[in-house]
Amino acid sequence: MSAVVDLLAGGVTMAVPVLVAASGELVSERTGILNLSLEGMVLTSAFAAVYGSGQTDSPVLGTLCGVLAGLVFAGGQAVLSVTVRANQMIVGIAANTLALGITSYGSRVLLGDAQGRTVPGFQPLKVPLLHDIPVLRQSGLAYVALALVVVLGVLGSRRTGLGLALDAVGADAAVADQAGLPVRAVRYGAVLTTGLMAGLAGAQLALSEVHAFTDNMTSGLGYLAIVAVIAGRWRMVPMMLACLFFGVAQALQFTAPAMGVNLPVAILVVSPYLIALLAVSGLAGRSRAPAALAVPFVRKG
Amino acid sequence: MSPAALEITSIGKTFGGVTALDAVTLRVQAGTVHCVLGENGAGKTTLCDLVYGNYRPDTGSMTLYGEPYAPARPAEALAAGVAMVHQHFSLVPTMTVAENLMLGDGLRLRLPRRRLEARLAAIAESYDLRVEPDTVVADLPVGIRQQVEIIKCLVRDPRLLLLDEPTGVLAPAEIDALLTTCRRIAAAGKAVVLVTHKLGEVAAAGDAATVLRNGRVAGGGPLSKLPTRELVSLMVARSPATLDPLLAASLGLAPADLETTVPSIRLSPQDRRKKAALRLSGVTVVRGDGTTALDGVSLTVAPGEIVGIAGVEGNGQSELAAVLGGALPVAAGTIEVGGADLTQAPPRRRTEAGLGVIPEDRLLDGCLPGMTVADNLCLGRLSEFRRFGLLNRRAMDRAATAVLTDYAVRAAGPRAPLRSLSGGNQQRVVLARELALDPLVCLLAAQPTRGLDIGAVDAIVGRLRAAAAHGAGILVISSELSELLALSARVYVCYRGRLLGPVDSDSPTARDDLGRLMSGTDS
Repeated sequence: MSAVVDLLAGGVTMAVPVLVAASGELVSERTGILNLSLEGMVLTSAFAAVYGSGQTDSPVLGTLCGVLAGLVFAGGQAVLSVTVRANQMIVGIAANTLALGITSYGSRVLLGDAQGRTVPGFQPLKVPLLHDIPVLRQSGLAYVALALVVVLGVLGSRRTGLGLALDAVGADAAVADQAGLPVRAVRYGAVLTTGLMAGLAGAQLALSEVHAFTDNMTSGLGYLAIVAVIAGRWRMVPMMLACLFFGVAQALQFTAPAMGVNLPVAILVVSPYLIALLAVSGLAGRSRAPAALAVPFVRKG
Repeated sequence: MSPAALEITSIGKTFGGVTALDAVTLRVQAGTVHCVLGENGAGKTTLCDLVYGNYRPDTGSMTLYGEPYAPARPAEALAAGVAMVHQHFSLVPTMTVAENLMLGDGLRLRLPRRRLEARLAAIAESYDLRVEPDTVVADLPVGIRQQVEIIKCLVRDPRLLLLDEPTGVLAPAEIDALLTTCRRIAAAGKAVVLVTHKLGEVAAAGDAATVLRNGRVAGGGPLSKLPTRELVSLMVARSPATLDPLLAASLGLAPADLETTVPSIRLSPQDRRKKAALRLSGVTVVRGDGTTALDGVSLTVAPGEIVGIAGVEGNGQSELAAVLGGALPVAAGTIEVGGADLTQAPPRRRTEAGLGVIPEDRLLDGCLPGMTVADNLCLGRLSEFRRFGLLNRRAMDRAATAVLTDYAVRAAGPRAPLRSLSGGNQQRVVLARELALDPLVCLLAAQPTRGLDIGAVDAIVGRLRAAAAHGAGILVISSELSELLALSARVYVCYRGRLLGPVDSDSPTARDDLGRLMSGTDS
């Protein structure tokens, strides 16, 4: 019994940063911008959060550093995707490679001896009743980030003008433009939202869970978030379930031995990605991607 | 005298050295329908785009109800009370009607559903236009979609409504309804600008007209002082008497307006019984989502015969063209060309059997716009140009140059990229390539004159007729009813994947019969 609780608790903890990152990516993809650079955004934010927290001894300021890094990163992505109209796949791959290099190098230069060492982070909130439920034993940052996810879900739903605008721009930017919507502003806003959420996801990973920075510490978290968006077919609630599912799959590698399941570690480590691959290939045929996903917009003429 | 609703003064616009509009002046009065006429490429759409803020003019100025008007983007035009119905649909298909109608309200949080309902009720009252707001747009037939486009404009209560060739995809009855709506909107005191190249629509709905030719104003004025004949000569700079009936048809004139008869090739029953150029028996095509695109289509085209297929877009004509070209698999039935069964044949074998195909979308399916004219002409028969295992470029250029001269294609040379040619010249290249098939048993021409100017239509049609005279069976798919009637002896109608008819194009009621078949009111 306790092993199952452990699995769920571990799964939720693993799922939180993926979900936070995915909810931002969902907003952006609905407007037609694919941020393959999400992985790099989260990694850079995690690095910035650890550096900020180590310098100021304040995890809150560290989180702000992480968010700022996410926004700057997303700003660059927005300029390239929206204004320069660069190929979004290529930009994403280049940005991820760059982020991996910069953070690995930066951790040696800036963190120096502190590399891999614990910095001030967040502890699980001691809310009287919640604290007794293992699954809900999360940090304050996690609760703030999850609240933002809910806000995004409500504001971005089809029941608001904002949500309609997101989908219209993603379905056909030229049509949205002719209807008088500010296509570029909507897309910039959406990519920056991805940056904000990626910043929170990075800070959550580094300051609430690990309390340190290690090279490539996201190890595919951003990609999993993108897969969750696809597996959730660009809708909030199915995407949340996909994130939870991936989280549990990841937690399995720690709890499986305790549950008496003897599988090679390598298989357990690879399982979330394998499941993600299956989820995407199974859904690919019937997926309802935004029609203008990864298609840049320029007014004719 | 009150200021004009829209006054355009000596406006000009060039695109990369090509003059699209040159010193165009136009005055539209409130409460009238002002028609802007012209051939394809005369600058009509550019004019709309300038008024709607898609481009800014290089020279000249505009006023709207007496006030200076210079929109930098569509949002500004909408704010000033200008709305536009586009040539192509501008609704988001995955959204409901109501969601589409509320899009223009910008990035607000709360959706103005109540206000929308009130506006829709008012529009239903004053213009007799009704829609079901909760239907998803993709599920609506084209005629209704066009109504939604107009309602989308009217919801904002515009002072000036632009309609850019709104009738292209509509059935005759739907066109009449649209023109009636235009009259009602004008009667409500708004200014309506109706852009078209069909003279019949002008006569039915317009108060005044301006004719554009090569980006300049060729003439205009109140329609009471402009008879149809005058408009024709302003549009094409030729006297209507010298106009080929088919060209007249492409302008939307009934042949009766010009008092000429239509020459067409007629076959005796014995001729028809000879080996068919094309025989379709019960051809059925199923789309990827399981719906039926073509439902048991049977059709025979005899050698030397031109057969037409009409229909409102989206009724299976595109699939018929694709299935003949080999781009779509046949679920049931057979396709025979010159007696050979090609039902499952790949495109190469179809070409060898003598089946030429001019696809609907020439740029997408008919040619490689980035490659040269010579490459495009020779790609299907490269083996003829091989020397020592390599391509003999000189021979290819010589062959291409001969075609360019023969078909009067205006191009910089055989090495010019196909993209650099105008639409009409591209179509001539595609046509030349298909007509060069040896033997040419059957030619399918899907929308062969779409987007072409009158000179190009003339050339294309002449070539099709010549090919038929040499014994090829020709199947023409077109949305231009008048063209089909002038070109072919029999016209079928595609309606919801089934083939209706045929209607004999000699019959005095042919046009009405086809119209009824197209809108499904007669089955």
